[in-house]
Amino acid sequence: MSSATHDSAPLYEVRNVSKHYGAVVALDDVSMKIHAGEVVGLVGDNGAGKSTLVKVLSGAHQPSHGQILLDGIERHWKSPHDALEAGIETLYQESGLAPHLSVSANVFLGREEVRSGVLGKLGFLAQKSMDVRAHADLERVGIAVPSSSRSVSQLSGGQRQAVAIGRAVAWAKKVIILDEPTNHLGARQAGEVLEVIKAAKEQGLGVIFISHTLPHVLSVTDRIVVLRLGRIVRDAPTSEFNADTLLGTITGLITT
Amino acid sequence: MSLSEPAVEKTIPTAVAEKTTSKSRARGLLGNQQFILLLVWFAMIALFTYLNHIFFSVEVAGNILSDWSPVVLLATGETFVVISGGIDLSVGAVLGFSGVIGAYVMQWMTTNKFEAPITLAAGLVTCALVGLGVGLINALLINKARLVPFIATLATLGAAGGMSIVLTGGGPIAGGPPTAISLSVPWLGPFSTPTLVTIGVVILCGLFLHLARFGRYTYAIGSNAFAARAAGINVQRQITKIYALSGLLAGLAGMYLYLRLGSGSPTSGQGAELDAIAAVVIGGAALSGGEGRMTGTVLGAFILTTVTSGLIIIGVAPNWKQVVVAVLIAGAVSIQQLRRSSGRAA
Repeated sequence: MSSATHDSAPLYEVRNVSKHYGAVVALDDVSMKIHAGEVVGLVGDNGAGKSTLVKVLSGAHQPSHGQILLDGIERHWKSPHDALEAGIETLYQESGLAPHLSVSANVFLGREEVRSGVLGKLGFLAQKSMDVRAHADLERVGIAVPSSSRSVSQLSGGQRQAVAIGRAVAWAKKVIILDEPTNHLGARQAGEVLEVIKAAKEQGLGVIFISHTLPHVLSVTDRIVVLRLGRIVRDAPTSEFNADTLLGTITGLITT
Repeated sequence: MSLSEPAVEKTIPTAVAEKTTSKSRARGLLGNQQFILLLVWFAMIALFTYLNHIFFSVEVAGNILSDWSPVVLLATGETFVVISGGIDLSVGAVLGFSGVIGAYVMQWMTTNKFEAPITLAAGLVTCALVGLGVGLINALLINKARLVPFIATLATLGAAGGMSIVLTGGGPIAGGPPTAISLSVPWLGPFSTPTLVTIGVVILCGLFLHLARFGRYTYAIGSNAFAARAAGINVQRQITKIYALSGLLAGLAGMYLYLRLGSGSPTSGQGAELDAIAAVVIGGAALSGGEGRMTGTVLGAFILTTVTSGLIIIGVAPNWKQVVVAVLIAGAVSIQQLRRSSGRAA
């Protein structure tokens, strides 16, 4: 499933990125690229630097050294908001939904539509329009939620995760970073999440998929980047891995 | 939201059919805390009226409203704070402190022969600014000094309360415009001008809480601050606005009480923060954040002040109020818990 054109210019790229926390080196000279319409799996053991790399990619942390390029232009994210504005959506491992708010309020969180005129200037919300659009947008990316005016706390765990991913996919303009999106999900629900990832890919988004569940990684990605002790030890098409070689590379039993 | 590609045919079948059985509908009505509160309040009015017919009168209603107004002003600010997952213990002390500072300003202006309306306007602005100032200090302590709201506002409670006593020596500050107190006389049935203004302020705050972005962000922060931050909401700025609003409303409550007493009393707000928090909690807000309604707070404040007036009128020692309030809080919170455990999908 390597439909991505790897010879084309990368959509999003980090070059020679390092990140130090005091004396601890979390990332050491890491370079990776992602193309439009490509799903890249990011794997590694605990402490390999996955979370740090996700934070650098999503703008939550600034790298100590190295460059970040979006569409070939160097960018300096000061906050996740900067990256968000530039079209990079991140779904964090800790659920990114506010359980007391409705589905549509969550879909539009931080990007609310306001009414026209003076009321809009005062921040009054166009709630009906957001309800309708949230429903349509989630449906478009393949997620059916009973009612977008329902509060998220009334949804099941799988539905919540589907809404969180649906929101990210619906808003993402360029890249979507999914940090352990299939965690704590049953087999069927995880399968649904993988379908949404495929849909995002078909829409031409670059998808970075971080997971411990190697069968998911092998089934949905075009390319796999293996991190180990803060360095990239392998970056190759998914077809070059099987479950054993991938596990071996992650644990360091197989070195190339 | 702009996506170039058309719809994906596959729709994930995670939908759960809406259940509208009669059982769930009944639960919906009884699960509606506002509805229960309204029933409780009406039952109280009926009971007190039955025990003493004087209770059901414009005079008593006017009294309840003038007790209710400062409480609901504090509780309105507290509603935003509690929904955001915080707590503001300073509001009572701010009420007293702003009333005292406002009283000094009005005393000085009256001594220097300023017109009464200008003096009163200056007093109002002073009270509001003092409240706003303390609210901003709270926000600074929470955002920058990283104190939890409980500690930050406990500190300003002490500081504002202490300064009120130090400045005044403990006595009330009078000498403002002699017409001040006449403003508190009801003229529209049981409603006085300051009460009408209070109602307007509360309605405005309710609209911003439930229909505007300001409220949406308040709920989001209390529900999941991490999600709010990840969605690009400036959490610190919103926290600042919330505590500033709470302080501002406490300042307005200070002016309300000044108009009622005709002086600024340093002890007038002592313990009022507990009434405010009680009103908010009885109204259905969760101290864990993310939950609460302005109508609940308004009814909570009505129930509190109705109990106080009612007990006096039926001849029960007013200190029994504390016991009744304790029962109400316990009842309100247990209803919330029951509703939460039954209303959540598996």
